[in-house]
Amino acid sequence: MRSFELCLGLGAALFLAPPPGSPSNHREAPITALDHKADITDLYAFVSYDQNQAPGTPPTKVTLILGVDPLLEPANGPTLFPFDPGILYEIRIDNNRNAVADVIFQFRFSTEYQLPGVYAAAAGFSDLGGAPGVPPRIEDFQNPGLNLRQTYRVTMIRGNKRVELENEDGSPFFAVPGNAGPRTMNYEALFDQATYHLDDGVSVFAGTTDDAFWIDLGAAFDTANFRTLGSGVPGVLTNDEDMAQQNFASDTVSGFAVNSIAIEVPIEWLTRTGEIEAADSPDATIGVWGTTSRRKMTIRRSPGPATTRGEWRQVQRMGNPLINELLIGIGFKDRFSMDQPKNDAQFADFFLNPPIATIVESLYSVLVPGALDVPPAPRNDLLPLVTYTGPKTGPIADLLRLNTGVAATPPQTASRLGLIAGDGAGFPNGRRVFDDVVDITLRVGVGGVLNVDFNHFPNNVLGDGVNVNDAPYRTSFPYLASAPDGRNRRHVDPGEVGGGPIP
Amino acid sequence: MKTLLLIAALASTIESPAERKIASARLWLKKDSGSYPARNALALALARRARETGDPAYYRQAEEALEASFRISPDNVEAARLSVWTLLGKHEFARALEEARALNRRMPDDLLTYAFLTDAHVELGNYEEAEEAAQWLLDLRPGNLAGLTRGGYLRELFGDIDGALEWMLMAHDQTHFNENEDRAWILTLMGHLEASRGRLEASEGYLAQALELFPDYHYALGELGKVRMAQKRYPEAVSLLRLRYEKAPHPENLYDFAGALALAGETEEAEALFARFEREARAESEGVDNANRELVFYYADRASEPESALAIAEREMARRRDVFTRDAFAWALHRSGKSAAARGEIEAALAVGIKDARMLYHAGAISAASGDRKAALRYLEESLALNPYSPVATEARESLQQLEPQVAP
Repeated sequence: MRSFELCLGLGAALFLAPPPGSPSNHREAPITALDHKADITDLYAFVSYDQNQAPGTPPTKVTLILGVDPLLEPANGPTLFPFDPGILYEIRIDNNRNAVADVIFQFRFSTEYQLPGVYAAAAGFSDLGGAPGVPPRIEDFQNPGLNLRQTYRVTMIRGNKRVELENEDGSPFFAVPGNAGPRTMNYEALFDQATYHLDDGVSVFAGTTDDAFWIDLGAAFDTANFRTLGSGVPGVLTNDEDMAQQNFASDTVSGFAVNSIAIEVPIEWLTRTGEIEAADSPDATIGVWGTTSRRKMTIRRSPGPATTRGEWRQVQRMGNPLINELLIGIGFKDRFSMDQPKNDAQFADFFLNPPIATIVESLYSVLVPGALDVPPAPRNDLLPLVTYTGPKTGPIADLLRLNTGVAATPPQTASRLGLIAGDGAGFPNGRRVFDDVVDITLRVGVGGVLNVDFNHFPNNVLGDGVNVNDAPYRTSFPYLASAPDGRNRRHVDPGEVGGGPIP
Repeated sequence: MKTLLLIAALASTIESPAERKIASARLWLKKDSGSYPARNALALALARRARETGDPAYYRQAEEALEASFRISPDNVEAARLSVWTLLGKHEFARALEEARALNRRMPDDLLTYAFLTDAHVELGNYEEAEEAAQWLLDLRPGNLAGLTRGGYLRELFGDIDGALEWMLMAHDQTHFNENEDRAWILTLMGHLEASRGRLEASEGYLAQALELFPDYHYALGELGKVRMAQKRYPEAVSLLRLRYEKAPHPENLYDFAGALALAGETEEAEALFARFEREARAESEGVDNANRELVFYYADRASEPESALAIAEREMARRRDVFTRDAFAWALHRSGKSAAARGEIEAALAVGIKDARMLYHAGAISAASGDRKAALRYLEESLALNPYSPVATEARESLQQLEPQVAP
């Protein structure tokens, strides 16, 4: 008989392991800090729009975008940044207010090498008639110079039905590679070719793009050490700064790429009723979240490993922006990342008594006494971010909630501040690529402006000074900007034009 | 420089990893007597030494170090973790579970807490909860050492010996080469796994490596002694189990040793040691760290005191309902003539999935006694097929012979 000591296992090595590092944006939880490829950067969900959108155009489609694999330096060859074939990427939708997925889009990638003996994507000189032994500049996915090439498959699960979304002619979906630079590839041509428009009005896209997020990340994670701009109070914008379509502080994410997955589908595919619902219908609102998962090491092995599918373990999830980064305690982040939104009541204290609000309030009480008052906990004003509104709120759950009945705002009149600036089609009603979720979060999460008693100066002009993205977004699907090219990418730093002051 | 020299001098004279850690923690305390991390380090090193030697006195010393640590910093998480580990080592499983749960609420992402939850649940016989905790531990960090060893043990309990060996080998590969005792511990477990299915040569290979890494390691001596018994090399078994008992003088080790002596024909010494075993095991029978399972088998099979066996088994069942305790309880019931109840217990143990030749033999004997010859034949054949060299192989063959003519045409 074995005595207990025999099964007491190996504590020592773990006790001696160093504690996990501090979190950074785009790298929220210890588990995902160790799994860069599975790290979700951002999730976007919005009613599709186009360049010449007329006000009040009835909604027809929704675009969903999942960003993964943060802060990709475009010059970091030779393989650049393929998706991980070992990861199951999913965008999940709840359409009946119970925080359980009713519609799921799954994305799985495959990798192939075209020139196994060559060190990287190597091509060029097509305009000069080519160079001996070097493939011509990459203009399409058939070019052998595109050495590492990825394809992917898209599956929609709705109820018990699994449908593979495919090109009409059965040709594969190619993922846009990282932008190696102008000699090697025509990135724009590849981007266009990789934007697939299928039957039924569905479009899909995957590839390395500009990181659509923008933030003074360095200031945010130097314990909210925002730059002092025109107002003289750090992190407080003047009205002119607030209205400007330019940056007063450095966009730390500028010049970086990210891997993006995007899908546009008819609204009827997403709603509970299978119809486009009017904005005042409770069935118009969906809850969206993204997940990345890897295969499990299961204690109980499958009796038929070749024929039965192994289970998945969820590595990361995201609904609202900045929840995991800024709200969830470090000792709880893995539990949050791996759990399901329907179980989020366990994190209610983090949602409704956000430590970030207390920290910022405390810092301001020293910096500028009396300048900032923050609503006391419990912050029930934040409930609309983590529950549905209306008679059936559903459980507390971190979902990006989108009312699909609200018409998209024409790009010319849309506000980066979304709903709090009267633009009903913006965050937190879904999230568009150009929504300034950092400033909105500062004003809503810290300033408490959803509560009318706190919707005043300076709570309603808090901001990091980064108002726009460094690269122009597309105005049609997939809406993302092109990845910076590795040879000529530029990161805007503090102290330079558009980078804000260093002190 | 002085410190370095001192550590180097210590390292050259002290063999075991835990002893080295104890020495360096004491040095740290000497330099900084108010440091709670130093006291935690000392407690950890002492708890490791307890495993190296099998001497529970080290757990008491570890607890003293932890008490001092808590006095300096009442909320320190490290001491709370070590406290759970020490409780597990002392076999205080219910308290360990309670403290591990509290720690888990405080810090849900801590890997080691899930390992402790698994350990406590396994020992209490809560296998579903144990699997849930271990699976989450592996989901948190696939392939982590603590998860592999816990998962490997669960695989064994669920009857997947190949799977258990696979993960134990992975755990061994991840263990630092300098952690001799940790490596020897894993190799000993692997030796045990191979022996449990009758692969004695493979088992010997692992156990020899374990003993090379950590000479006179009491766990490895015990397992190798059992392998020698299976090989009917009784004098070698006697010397291995004698040495094991000298290294770790616990009643349960005395029981194996006395058993080997009896088989080796050293009847007089065997009887004397069985009598001593009974005395010592009885003396600690009310405590949590006891030899009650061995005592149950002693009373059931050697002393022919089934009532005493049953009384002790019932007491132990009130504390824990793991498969090994259930097996002992079933056997005590069987020897007391309560075959129907015995059958329920042994089948509950086997339902967990464990493949253990002795339990299968017990199930066969109990089924035969309750009149179910078909089940009895099945269990006995299974026991012999799994391990033809098990300690109950002879009894299993005899029972089979008694049963077979009755079913033959």
